Amino acid sequence: MNLEIATYLLYLGISITLTIWVAHTLHKNGRIFLVDVFHGNEPLADSVNHLLVVGFYLINLGFVSLALKLGYDIATPKEGIEALSVKVGTVMLVLGGMHFFNLLIFSRMRHRATRQNAPPPVSPDAFTPIQEVA
Amino acid sequence: MMAVLTLLYDPACGLCRRVQGWLAEQPKLIELRMIPIKTDAARKRFPELNHELTSEDLTVISDRGAVYFGPKAWLMVLWSLTRYRDWSYRLASPELLPTTRRVVSLISQHRYQLSRVATLAR
Repeated sequence: MNLEIATYLLYLGISITLTIWVAHTLHKNGRIFLVDVFHGNEPLADSVNHLLVVGFYLINLGFVSLALKLGYDIATPKEGIEALSVKVGTVMLVLGGMHFFNLLIFSRMRHRATRQNAPPPVSPDAFTPIQEVA
Repeated sequence: MMAVLTLLYDPACGLCRRVQGWLAEQPKLIELRMIPIKTDAARKRFPELNHELTSEDLTVISDRGAVYFGPKAWLMVLWSLTRYRDWSYRLASPELLPTTRRVVSLISQHRYQLSRVATLAR
């Protein structure tokens, strides 16, 4: 096995493991958030959670596979490690960005849900009886 | 929980009618009911309200009988709209409330002139 193939395989191994780990974290911890957003409707929360994680996987694995190609030759193990570190670093930054984007979506959803039951912004000036007319 | 807000609006003002039309199309968190000021409907529903005051600025009354007048009424209307609830809190914050009051009072006092300028008058 030559150096380039080894670098590619290591890159794929690390990137895919990282993606799975982040997606798993998102799936596990996002659920509590979503259950709250959907007022305890657990099946709906699980469904949305699953859909979000699928999107997360598709985008990240898509990026990982697009970014695979190195574009130059590797002669020494040193160069191989350097190339690997640039690639993995990029994948980690993209994963981080995606992760915060997901958090943003979660907090937006929660904000919307809690807003619905929020109290009026101002107190009344007075009270008046209401005469209900049929 | 509040479910309905009743707006007492001035049908003689073109700007108010335009705003009323805009309100009707907005997605709402709370139902809005419009009653023209100083009509039998308004007097019957709120027998103890000072109806002379309602021609000076917008009046909003909750289904529990809480009366909001002027700037507060405008903020309550914003609060009832899905897209503008966040803005109602922002504009009601201690920093912005004085400005909100000033702007709302200015618009209310000059609503007939504004309507004429915007050629919304009859």
